[in-house]
Amino acid sequence: MNNLTQRDAFWEKVYSLAKDNKDIVVVSADMGAPSLDQFRRDLAAQFVNVGIAEQNAILVASGMAALGKRVFVYAIAPFITLRCLEQIRVNNAMMKFPITIVGVGAGFGYEDSGPTHHITEDIAIMRSMPNIIINSISDSVMAEAVALMSCQMKVANYVRLDRLTLPSLYKKGEDFSQGIAVLKKGDSYIVSTGSMVHVALEVARQLKKKGLHVGVIDAYTIPLQEKNLISAIKGTKKLIALEEHFLAGGLSSAVCEALQDHGVVIPVLRIGLDPHKGYCYKYGGREIIRKYYGIDAASVTKKVLTFLK
Amino acid sequence: MNDQLKKKAWEIRRHVLKMCVKAGTGHVTSSMSCVDILTVLYRGCVMRHDPANPTWPERDRFILSKGQASPALYVVLADCGYFSMKDLDGFAQEDGKFGVHLQNSVPGVEITCGSLGQGFGFAAGVALGAKMNRDLFLTFTLLGDGECYEGSIWETAMFASHNHLNNLVAIVDRNYLCVTDFTENIVSLEPMADRWRSFGWDVICVDGHSIPELLKALDRVRSRKSTKPTAIIADTVKGEGVESFCYQPVCHGIAPKGEQAKKALEELERRCSYE
Repeated sequence: MNNLTQRDAFWEKVYSLAKDNKDIVVVSADMGAPSLDQFRRDLAAQFVNVGIAEQNAILVASGMAALGKRVFVYAIAPFITLRCLEQIRVNNAMMKFPITIVGVGAGFGYEDSGPTHHITEDIAIMRSMPNIIINSISDSVMAEAVALMSCQMKVANYVRLDRLTLPSLYKKGEDFSQGIAVLKKGDSYIVSTGSMVHVALEVARQLKKKGLHVGVIDAYTIPLQEKNLISAIKGTKKLIALEEHFLAGGLSSAVCEALQDHGVVIPVLRIGLDPHKGYCYKYGGREIIRKYYGIDAASVTKKVLTFLK
Repeated sequence: MNDQLKKKAWEIRRHVLKMCVKAGTGHVTSSMSCVDILTVLYRGCVMRHDPANPTWPERDRFILSKGQASPALYVVLADCGYFSMKDLDGFAQEDGKFGVHLQNSVPGVEITCGSLGQGFGFAAGVALGAKMNRDLFLTFTLLGDGECYEGSIWETAMFASHNHLNNLVAIVDRNYLCVTDFTENIVSLEPMADRWRSFGWDVICVDGHSIPELLKALDRVRSRKSTKPTAIIADTVKGEGVESFCYQPVCHGIAPKGEQAKKALEELERRCSYE
């Protein structure tokens, strides 16, 4: 699966399901993908292009969902979450019409496009509403599995896909119902999500060289399945939360809330985007941007070393 | 039938006013302007619906996009028998089943609505879904004219005509008033009919308080002689039936009180018995 992007793994699965189920519909806000081309060609009656009109995309999708359609709405992540946020709030969070919002380009995915195309607030915003499940995808095996799970969900979900082609973390057939996965056991843990899970694993490798056994937890479903998280970190003295997202309200906030609500009092190091640094106009690749915010593997390793000392 | 419907509309207005006066809230003027439209849709044999079976799959859908007119819709639905007229007494009360803006938990109500510019797009999705399913029902939606300031309305308008949604009927309650001022003073909405035409819609302009004109306009929609969606621009008076509120900006979202309420109720009682 290494050669497939999350996006292609996701849409190929949707295509294979839609071939046998005419109620599966894709609503695109003028967004394509090589894997969607075959959908458009073979299943034209199930493909609706609304143009660059995200508000209408969510509304039309919700109206179709009211007739029992299983609708996937697709656009670049910042636009299909923020431009149409109130439509999502009323139609999906409030009225609970179960559509699947598919945003591509999580974090700095559109690395050379500048901050309008980055999405660094979506977890905070989407998790603040009830009845929305965030599927923060960390590899293409998960992307494929979430495509199938989306068809069975009773509420709306937001699938945040990364643009990077990342190595697989999971084997085909993995159970993604637990909300978190312990990818590496350790004395302390880094909890992360999406493509940053790969950074966390690299950090853990670097720390191992220095004799520190730091585990990695992939929090792929938000709201967190808190009991699973608390039980996974049992006995841990210190915790690190890592995200490519502004610190306000994101994954690390969710982790701290879970600890607090379960009476787990341990130091937590939150590593994410410092709001004081604001939005950035850095180009030359994702690594450059991550370095700017101090969330690249080398910067994170340093911060964790100091924290664990 | 025309006289009966007109009388029914006055009775509905009287209920709307009583309900809102009792609650001390509710968008009275926004409701009054569209009562004749709702009466014709629900009581004029225009819409196929079954109060005993609100989720009947073949029902015509009515999507109230101007969700602030919920008092009018609630009274019409209760009058049809979707729920008890007694439930209207609980409007916006602690133990009530519904409040100022539209709520989809109420039998016969398709959506929760209060945020403008949304019901219309939802209705287009329903209409497109119906086409995909080869369902024959029609989808009616009622927009406020002020709602047409929302950009999403025009996203949906071009989408609906592009997709030949001739099973979609949008009625615009053209009462010329928003909250603070007349629409033509705020940002001009004219030429309203031409705007809808230019977005690819068949447009019919009617007097929104004329039962015969509304019936005639709505009589044509089921035959679908065109592939275009239909927009009915219904000229109305915001507050129709409550004279002291008509042609008055800043009467939006309030119910009359005290002497003003008493007078308004007397006015409507007179209309009901006269008609």
